[in-house]
Amino acid sequence: MESTPLYLTRNFKNPAAVTFDGYVASGGYVALKKALGLAPQEIIDLVKAGNLRGRGGAGFPAAVKWGFLGKTDGPKYLCVNADEGEPGTVKDGPLMEFDPHQMIEGIAIACFALGIKWCYIYIRGEFYKAHRAVEKAVNEAYAKGVLGPKVLGSDFRLDVALHPGAGAYICGEETGLLSSLEGKKGFPKLKPPFPAIKGLYGAPTIVNNVETLACVPHIINLGAEAWNALGSEKNGGTKLYNVCGHVLRPGYYELRHSVTLRELIYDVCGGMKPGRTLKGVVPGGSSSPILLPSEIDVRMDFDSLGKAGSMLGSAGVIVMDDRTSIVRALDNLLHFYNHESCGQCTPCREGTHWLYQISQRIVNGQGKPADVDRMLEICGNMVGNTICVLADAAALPTTSYINKYRAEFDAYVSGGRRLGILGEVEEMAVAHA
Amino acid sequence: MSLITPELKARFDAVVARYPKGQEQSAVIPLLHAMQELGHGRLTQEHQQAVADFLNVPMSKVHEVTTFYTMYSLKPRGRQHLSLCRTLPCALCGSENVASAVRAKLGVAPGEVTGDGEFSYEEVECLNYCHLGPVLQVGDTVYGDLTPEKARTLIDELAKKGGR
Repeated sequence: MESTPLYLTRNFKNPAAVTFDGYVASGGYVALKKALGLAPQEIIDLVKAGNLRGRGGAGFPAAVKWGFLGKTDGPKYLCVNADEGEPGTVKDGPLMEFDPHQMIEGIAIACFALGIKWCYIYIRGEFYKAHRAVEKAVNEAYAKGVLGPKVLGSDFRLDVALHPGAGAYICGEETGLLSSLEGKKGFPKLKPPFPAIKGLYGAPTIVNNVETLACVPHIINLGAEAWNALGSEKNGGTKLYNVCGHVLRPGYYELRHSVTLRELIYDVCGGMKPGRTLKGVVPGGSSSPILLPSEIDVRMDFDSLGKAGSMLGSAGVIVMDDRTSIVRALDNLLHFYNHESCGQCTPCREGTHWLYQISQRIVNGQGKPADVDRMLEICGNMVGNTICVLADAAALPTTSYINKYRAEFDAYVSGGRRLGILGEVEEMAVAHA
Repeated sequence: MSLITPELKARFDAVVARYPKGQEQSAVIPLLHAMQELGHGRLTQEHQQAVADFLNVPMSKVHEVTTFYTMYSLKPRGRQHLSLCRTLPCALCGSENVASAVRAKLGVAPGEVTGDGEFSYEEVECLNYCHLGPVLQVGDTVYGDLTPEKARTLIDELAKKGGR
């Protein structure tokens, strides 16, 4: 496997980098200075040529999203999506905690390129440490003239404020985030109009993920070609992957987009725990369809995983070994989606609830043979029928777990042996085949 | 007597100033966080009313927020609030066993407070420390790689230290 030079995480072992001086000493704010000397369109073209894909989960080209920003003489906003909540994902938290100025530099470059003067960082309520680190860094950036009326002495004005969330997965959806920022419950909004045309307070708004913005200074520094070369085709740069579950060395790793899922599990994370084998792996956060051991020779980029029938999503890799009960793993996730559905759209509110109720019945040994197909049918009525994709995020993994491990579900509902355990829960271990 | 002291008013004014004129409702979430801290982890009717009055928004708009988001508590909490992650990555690493141990040790079910008022306990959805699972958040500290034994020891240490 090709080694990876570190960009996004280069300061993670440099505690001084959370301060302005420490960040500058590590080469920080050079890109912003350079960017202020470019024409805004040149910056957008660089990001486009660098094939920066949105790292919140959708993988939409960042520069194309920027290009949709409505023209107006009134206010326009950048909202940073720092509401990390996708199960399996660990990236935006450490990016803010260990290198907050990197994100601020990315924000400043993006805002200069887009003519935006006001930015909100919507940060997950439970992220106390990241919140404090970013708050301190923003205050210092103001004091040092990186933010405020004259960014690095130029005529560009930029104000940045933090806004905490209060515990709702749905606010990671970009229009749910905007509702929350407006002081309401986090109901996603019907699109179109997209936020780029009618977003925060009805004004043109770009919502970008923390990691997306953290990439921007490196594209300016390296140039589009070099940044592109770090990734794979149409997926520029390095990427932060988190691997959790049953591997020997769980953790987050900055790697080239071209790394395969097999390399990630067996080379980077040391493989499975002793004596265990791989049963299934979720490649991009809990909302992505599960992959079988035979499907892991796939590159960890947006397009390759899409072709493999799953998605890169937030690059949260959840590894399950041979002892794992897939039925109980799905049941755990259905509790999550049932809890996090905002309740606005009927197919999602009812669908996630029904799925969880049926799943509970199955797990508790009361399942009926028709239940498995009934779950698939419910999923079919959820996908594409709601304002946001939370319904799909619950239905697509459910469908994949059932279709790929059908025999396990059938065994549960036909009174057969229950296979596997979840974690180390002992009473289930006796049922292990 | 108003809950909003001159000191608190200055703090609240600074929060409201982050948002454009006419968009004061945006401050509901941060102000409720401040109020809940003031209420030692609990938002009373008076706290909510004070935020509504301060921002000049109807009480219903504040209720809508306090009942939607999981971080707000309308019930009293313990001096130390424990949030154990229950979602899949932690569950794969044994959080169900940790949960049983914590419940037994504290003698409470999720959502309850211990008799001495020291601990409240909740089982929450993904805290995004999945690489350290199973994890327990206490205030702003996250404890990882827990086992039932480590969780029991941790609770003993926290009890000895005492909250607030």
